[in-house]
Amino acid sequence: MHLPPAPCAGGTFIQKTDGPPVRSAQQRNRAVDILIQQILNGLSIASVITLIAVGVTLIFGLTGIINFAHGEFLMVGSIVTWLAVRGELGFPLALMIAVLAVGLMGFVLERGLFRFTLTRPTNGFIVSLGLIVVLQHIVIFFYDPNQKSIPRPLPGIWDVGGVRIASVRVMVILVTIAVVALTFAMVTRSRYGRALRAAVDDRDTAALMGIPVRRYITGVFVLGSALAGLGGALLIALFPITPFTGGTMVMKGFAVALIGGLGNLTGAVVAGLILGIVEGFSAGYGFSAWTDAYSFALMILVLLFKPNGLFGGTSGPKMA
Amino acid sequence: MNNTLSPFRSLVPALVALALLALVPALGPSNRLLSLAISAGINVVALYGLSVLFGQTGILSMGHAALVGVGAYAAALLARDTGVGFWLALPLGGIFAGIAAVVIGVPSLRVSGHHFVIMTFAFGQLLTIVLTNGGDYTGAATGLDLQLPVSVFGTPVDDLMPYYYIVLAFVALSAVASWAIINSPYGRTLRAIRENEKLSASLGINIGRHKIGAFVVSGVFAGVSGVLLAYFLRHISPGQFASFPSIYLALMVMIGGARLLLGPLAGGILVSFLPEVLNLDPVESRILYGVCLIAVILVLPNGLIAGLLEGWQKLFGNAAQKRADNASANAKHAPEAGR
Amino acid sequence: MNAILEIKGLKKQFGGLTALSGVDLSIEEGEILGIVGPNGSGKTTLFNVITGVHKPTEGRVSWRGRDITSLAAHEISGAGIGYTFQQAMAFPGLSVWENVQTACEHAHRSDRSYPWTTPAALLDFVGLTTLANERAGVLPFGSLRLLGIALALATRPSLILLDEPAAGLNDKETATLVGLVQQFPAHGISVCVIDHDMKLMQMLCKRLIVLDFGSKIADGPTQAVLADPKVLEVYLGGAL
Repeated sequence: MHLPPAPCAGGTFIQKTDGPPVRSAQQRNRAVDILIQQILNGLSIASVITLIAVGVTLIFGLTGIINFAHGEFLMVGSIVTWLAVRGELGFPLALMIAVLAVGLMGFVLERGLFRFTLTRPTNGFIVSLGLIVVLQHIVIFFYDPNQKSIPRPLPGIWDVGGVRIASVRVMVILVTIAVVALTFAMVTRSRYGRALRAAVDDRDTAALMGIPVRRYITGVFVLGSALAGLGGALLIALFPITPFTGGTMVMKGFAVALIGGLGNLTGAVVAGLILGIVEGFSAGYGFSAWTDAYSFALMILVLLFKPNGLFGGTSGPKMA
Repeated sequence: MNNTLSPFRSLVPALVALALLALVPALGPSNRLLSLAISAGINVVALYGLSVLFGQTGILSMGHAALVGVGAYAAALLARDTGVGFWLALPLGGIFAGIAAVVIGVPSLRVSGHHFVIMTFAFGQLLTIVLTNGGDYTGAATGLDLQLPVSVFGTPVDDLMPYYYIVLAFVALSAVASWAIINSPYGRTLRAIRENEKLSASLGINIGRHKIGAFVVSGVFAGVSGVLLAYFLRHISPGQFASFPSIYLALMVMIGGARLLLGPLAGGILVSFLPEVLNLDPVESRILYGVCLIAVILVLPNGLIAGLLEGWQKLFGNAAQKRADNASANAKHAPEAGR
Repeated sequence: MNAILEIKGLKKQFGGLTALSGVDLSIEEGEILGIVGPNGSGKTTLFNVITGVHKPTEGRVSWRGRDITSLAAHEISGAGIGYTFQQAMAFPGLSVWENVQTACEHAHRSDRSYPWTTPAALLDFVGLTTLANERAGVLPFGSLRLLGIALALATRPSLILLDEPAAGLNDKETATLVGLVQQFPAHGISVCVIDHDMKLMQMLCKRLIVLDFGSKIADGPTQAVLADPKVLEVYLGGAL
């Protein structure tokens, strides 16, 4: 019999008198430590991806438009945050400005561009492709293609029972949970949410019943964009970004949305959670080179067996 | 009414354009322009493949650059590991890309339109990741060099000019192949699927099989383009074949017009040369591309060439009423007949 | 006359809803059969099961003795069964000529006596020759219906199923349609029409089958069936 060493005391490799060597409690802690860190890591990135996924799934559900430029909305959010922080405005204010700015951008783009593609959503998709190119390169034109970062808004590292957790990651996760919960509550409980779900289900009938569908479409675009702006602000709090960051993030965002079922809000959230854990585990066990592949591989696998996603999606609005 | 004249007539503008392009080297262009022209030509070969998939069958794929990449990497690996050179690599690259198209197409075509596009995008990204993680075998992120020279009947091709003609020959081949497909029963079947799947099935058309077939055909074009690219650049890396290059390919084919025979040629040339003409740097030119794509899709959804044709009809269509009626009847169906 | 299409014990359930509950019927060679029934009687489901859109929960569909129950839509056509849809369908971006030309290229038999083997012949038969160069997408509705018939005929079927072929047509157009369909049996094409329109059925069909709530409630010569009290009850005494 042996007594386990005190936590954080110098580690010693204790050997049982008979049987295989046993890792010390502290070494066990370190492995678990890394795993938990990586899962939190995965979840914090997944939070940002979930914000994208929620945005695109809401937009698709009501309009049938696949807005690939959503990743650039995220990127613009990051850039705005970066500019605001550079301008000495402090992170919380910068975040709010980013949300408003990108929300406004979404409004302008919907009214000015996407509105003309409502009868043929495929054109909306193609427009979004053009937008990707334009937005990316406008940013490069005015700034440069290099990395941009901000100082950590929450530099602290917490020690919870031996596990070291970066507080900024927790913040990102908590903010996302709060915002997504709010969005969820609004869509499922409020009057507007009910009208929205009716419009998603049958656009024509909803319009006949007096629901101002056009306004809801604009609203959904603004909401989705604002969420992307928030995601961008949170993302740059975690890592440096480049004008091309939007591209990878949007693919993962769509993968998550598809896994959950395109148009299905619950699906997007659950799928985001799953992806976060999977990516965290994989990094924790040393497969980080393949991390980016999981969202795609998972999506392809899920769609092979459940072509409408895990929770079943909508197929976009019924066209006349 | 029988439209039996149209098929051959539709080939004429393309042949004229190709003949003009063959004269370009005689004008003594700079190396830089020649390089640009070769790049454009290589893209055009891939674009003809995309026009069969998107223009004829109506399938919007965002994984086309990945198929080009399969061809390119096949060429590089064959050269490095087996000594197989340019001329044999061309058909092999096409075959490998065709097989890759089956791998991408079979799962992707099981899902509906929206999911499908995203699946093809995802496959594109996956290929990049696999290539990047392939270690020494695929050259990882830095990529591979291609050392073997191109030789025609024993004489090595070192200069840009001969390579320009080789690429132009393949552009011509692609255009003719595309024309043949468009004006064949096979092409009509693809268009039927594009127009109304349910009705096509009711006439006995096997939708699934034809869609995969169209995918494979587009892949073969892409693979050949990839081999041409690899032997031109002499160095390839995964980033060149990711999802965003696919967007550029889609952009080019849509700007030029996916359904017309001249569309891919126009789109490839326009997108490659407009920045030169307007003296724009790469960043500015890409902003222009994006804006053009948005403008074209909103204003001229059939592409620039079709828009120009329609504009021409509107301006000069009142000449002789009867002749105008006939001409406009043919022009309206030009997108289908592939003029 | 022998049966070319036989349906035995056909059941179709969608979740808790029973659309067809054990239907037996057959289509005789060379006849024009009508299938009628109020909304919800299972007519469309029957059509969809035969044409391969749905798989039945139970039962068998045989075509000239061959089991075609689980064939896909394009295989049904390949077997020699042509069909037109309730919603008038065409290839909208293609010209009328191209529409028919495409269909002709998928003919399923090379019977030399078949009268409509070229696009010109088909367009002449349905009377769309003058519209040959028009885009199908801009055709008036009546012409669209005629185009649908031409497309189905182009594949040289031995049996044509028509799902509400006169829906949306005025009396003159309906009469034209009837005139066309009546010529099919003489050229080796048996016909089955599914519709509501009793006048159409009286004009066209010698035999009538009535469905109600997924079951067959009458099967016999048209006049007899229309006088059947069970049938009259189902239609709530509406004037027939």
